[in-house]
Amino acid sequence: MAASGHDKFLGAGLGSGRLSRRSLLRGIGATAGLAASLPVLSACGFGGASDSAGSAANDISGSFDWKKHSGQEIKLLLNKHPYQEALVANLGKFTEQTGIKVNYDVFPEDNYFDKVTLELRSKAGNYDAFMLGAYMVWQYGPPGYLEDLKPWIDNTAATNADFAPDDFFPNLLQAGQWSFKNGDPLGGGKQWMLPWGWETNVVAYNSELFTKLGLKPAETFDELVELAAAIKQKAPGAGYPDMYGIAVRGSKSWATMHPGFMTMYSRFGLKDFTVADGKLEPAMNSAAAVDFTTRWASMVKASGPASWPTYSWYNCSGDLGAQKAGMMFDADTAAYFQSVPGASQAAGKLAFHPGPKGPDGSLATNMWIWSLGMNSASKKKAATWWFLQWATGKDHLTYAATQQSHIDPVRKSVADNAEYKQRLSNTPGFLDTFDAVVNDTKIQFTPQTQFFDATTSWAEALQKIYGGENAQSVLDALAADLKTKVNS
Amino acid sequence: MTDTASHVTTQHATGVARRRLGRVLTTVGLLAYFAFSLFPVVWMILLSLKDKQDQLTTYFAFSPTLDSYRAVLGLGDADAGVPFLRFFVSSLVTSIGAVLVSLLIGVPAAYAAARFSFRGKENLMFTLLSFRFAPELVVIIPLSVIYPQIGLFDSYTGMIWVLQLVTLPLIVWILRSYFEDLSPEIEQAALLDGYSRTQAFLRTVLPLVKPGIAAVSLLAFIFAWNNFVFPLTLTSSNAQTVTVGSLSFIGGNEAKFNFTAAAALIAAVPPLVLALSIQRFLVRGLSFGSVKD
Amino acid sequence: MSVLSSTQSPASTGGVPPSSAAGRVRVPRWRRRLRPYLLIVPAVALCVGILYPFLLGVFYTLFNYSATKPVPDFVGVDNYVTVLTQGEFWHSAWVTGLFAVLATVVETVLGVGVALLLNRSSLLGRLLEKVLIVPLMIAPIIAAIIWKLMLWPSVGVLSHYLSMIGLGDLTAIDTAGKAMFWCVVIDTWIFTPFVAILALAALRSMPRSPFEAAAVDGASPWFTFRTLTLPMLWPYVLVAVIFRFMDSLKVFDVIYAFTQGGPGNATTTLQISAYLQAITYQRYSFGTTFMIVLWAIVYVVSMVLVRYLGRVQNRSAGK
Repeated sequence: MAASGHDKFLGAGLGSGRLSRRSLLRGIGATAGLAASLPVLSACGFGGASDSAGSAANDISGSFDWKKHSGQEIKLLLNKHPYQEALVANLGKFTEQTGIKVNYDVFPEDNYFDKVTLELRSKAGNYDAFMLGAYMVWQYGPPGYLEDLKPWIDNTAATNADFAPDDFFPNLLQAGQWSFKNGDPLGGGKQWMLPWGWETNVVAYNSELFTKLGLKPAETFDELVELAAAIKQKAPGAGYPDMYGIAVRGSKSWATMHPGFMTMYSRFGLKDFTVADGKLEPAMNSAAAVDFTTRWASMVKASGPASWPTYSWYNCSGDLGAQKAGMMFDADTAAYFQSVPGASQAAGKLAFHPGPKGPDGSLATNMWIWSLGMNSASKKKAATWWFLQWATGKDHLTYAATQQSHIDPVRKSVADNAEYKQRLSNTPGFLDTFDAVVNDTKIQFTPQTQFFDATTSWAEALQKIYGGENAQSVLDALAADLKTKVNS
Repeated sequence: MTDTASHVTTQHATGVARRRLGRVLTTVGLLAYFAFSLFPVVWMILLSLKDKQDQLTTYFAFSPTLDSYRAVLGLGDADAGVPFLRFFVSSLVTSIGAVLVSLLIGVPAAYAAARFSFRGKENLMFTLLSFRFAPELVVIIPLSVIYPQIGLFDSYTGMIWVLQLVTLPLIVWILRSYFEDLSPEIEQAALLDGYSRTQAFLRTVLPLVKPGIAAVSLLAFIFAWNNFVFPLTLTSSNAQTVTVGSLSFIGGNEAKFNFTAAAALIAAVPPLVLALSIQRFLVRGLSFGSVKD
Repeated sequence: MSVLSSTQSPASTGGVPPSSAAGRVRVPRWRRRLRPYLLIVPAVALCVGILYPFLLGVFYTLFNYSATKPVPDFVGVDNYVTVLTQGEFWHSAWVTGLFAVLATVVETVLGVGVALLLNRSSLLGRLLEKVLIVPLMIAPIIAAIIWKLMLWPSVGVLSHYLSMIGLGDLTAIDTAGKAMFWCVVIDTWIFTPFVAILALAALRSMPRSPFEAAAVDGASPWFTFRTLTLPMLWPYVLVAVIFRFMDSLKVFDVIYAFTQGGPGNATTTLQISAYLQAITYQRYSFGTTFMIVLWAIVYVVSMVLVRYLGRVQNRSAGK
């Protein structure tokens, strides 16, 4: 019954024991020899750092002229976002005003920063300007990938008189400044990016549900915990099948930490790190932090989404929009876009509230900013600066806030604009909430270069606590691990 | 061939009732597996026909719309603002290119490995195979440094090159056993007829392994087409493929799953068309041609 | 060789021979000996080209190259020491092994089972065979996103219908066990057809006579299956097993889109760890070290398996 020819299948040769140990060793030897004969490896293997000579801004003199760089072309790297859509919609106006042509590529948030990283690291200067946030400055700034915009702002020959940096909310301008020294607060003489768009993190809720059940937004964290539990208990009986209390992010990502969690954490007066003698000391395992983290995790466990450890922003806003979540503690924009007519089943029913205050009445809020920065490897810095001052200027931002979906203005003048106010007044509580938190909203994290590791590990720790592990020991282990990482 | 082969495992000599039971169980088993296997695809199709407000619902009854497809393809007013067709072309060029290069390089190598003995043969073969099993990230960091320096970043050439890791080992290894399966007498006969070695190969051997080449090319094409990590890290706007491009619809202010589903279904068309067009080769091709006695 | 019997003879495929009378031109010996090398030159060149980044990767692991260290220092084998002495690596290795074994076993059993059922040649089977390959057409990254959507507890279709039969809690991915379970299910969904197609190909190429003999002898179906089908199938299935096992060891797409390695580090496989280190945290050297170690493991495992396969194939061929 021997199957003749049956032996020859896919991997007939795959093994057959023909690969002796000796031949393998020979192979390894040959490989090693090859490696040694490649001196080129060390010559051009690494990217290398940028040299920071004098700013190109100093080369610009004379009087400011929008048309000065007419005929040039610049290229932008953009993240898909309503703010980006507002910008793209208005680019024709910029070209008309300056004669500069703008090309752009758009990537979704999931892989946008990977593209930025690759682009900057290559130092090819393919893209002249791009969108980024404060945490990215901490990563991209120290290797010299970002152009300092301060000399450009200060040069009156390069900047139009109407630019008015004082018009930006101060916390936003400050979010783009840093000394690159771990633990140093934001601020200082260098401007690594310009405020363009941002998001505050507040509580959005289903006002129809609240009216039906006679509920009021929570003013303290204890109330929030109770409120979330009450919604989960009562909402399904009030015509909202499967509704739970509060949607917050939970996936294993740095993005889980910065909206609701960091906001509430800061309102309790808690810090991620303390700084002593130029060294960072992780503080997420302090007694108060452990207590808060435990309460947050048990709130999520009791009244949060069922698959919380996989929840990213779209799960949260999707549940709010589908009337499966009674509240959401996340970016105001995330809820806003669910409340636009036709956007979701909860459209027109969503209202905003600053969220619970801290024990001392604090409304400290963490923010996410979408700013614009310049690639230090750009070959068209002047034209790029012309673009940046236009994109973050009053004209464009007013247009974007009133005609497009660029809510949460970074400029005071736009926030005060009557047309903008009129437009946003249709969304209950939005403007009041914005006004209530705007001055307390800033980057609440301690600036340091290992931000993404620290926050992703923190999210992992939070998931473990949610899963029932002892909060103190999980956070102690996290602190011990981070202490060496952030100080190395 | 299907009929004859099936007889061999069909039970004989047992009662009719038992055979009927077997048939029922077979049917139940098949239905159960294919329900599991096809439901997600059916759901994707439904999802792609839903509009924005229905996308996060669990019902099957809704008024279908082709808006998602229009938006993904950038037709009319529904343009989603994503150059999906460009991604599609990139996927086609890089996947087909990768398979062709692998065939050009792999067919001679597989033939040589099957027909000749030469020094370092098994080392070479195992090295090729080990590429298939190497974690992609090993090469990504170095390539992300090298590629921009030599102008291969975000280029078709760069993608075709790196996709050899996916396509070449598969092609060489499967074709090698194919060639080993063929009797050397085939070529000998042709050589005796006065053909040169190359002619003998092209005219006698190659036609015989055609089903195998078709089947393995399809598998290699699918793996190249579906690859995610390489285009994610080694391309930007020019050579980005549909796998990465399909994610473009989850972002900004909302996740448009209906668009993602439509994009994924459009992206599945080329491999599906290929699979259907070589359907008769697929199973036969991988089973090396014949029923053996 | 049976291949000949079912296909055309060489003479009929070749057209008219150039000059059969003149006989073959003698090819010089040296040219004949050179021939195999000429044939493999492109493959060797490609191997060298592909090995270059691999070697550069190994080279990087001897430095502390990272975003904050664009001009790195030589650190010797420090990265390897750190990786191998850290709990993170070993935990990831354990998760990777667990996932790979679970996924491979489930896919193999299910794939072979489906192939056996399809091989029974009912009308239904012939129809379904045509769509067997469909899940392979959906990119794994997209498949994972669609599954995540279907399992979304509040609005997902699977959650909805599973909760109707009291299994709703299964789709709440809040424990390590459930996260791993669904990762395996998704991987199974995608890759079972791969195993099934190879197994089906094997079944179709089996010799008929032993089965006919067994039928004449009145052997029970189970006996036939155990003593004939399975042993003959095994070398073929083993190839699929090896491919699936090796691929599972470097799983990335499914987990990246589904759990990102959570909850906690329950599904953090080695490629996920390395991605976090090398891409997200931008510690290029350290992340690459993870991958080099994984590659070494995969290399050794694949060598063992491939050797085992060789023995199995030799045995089944009666050598």
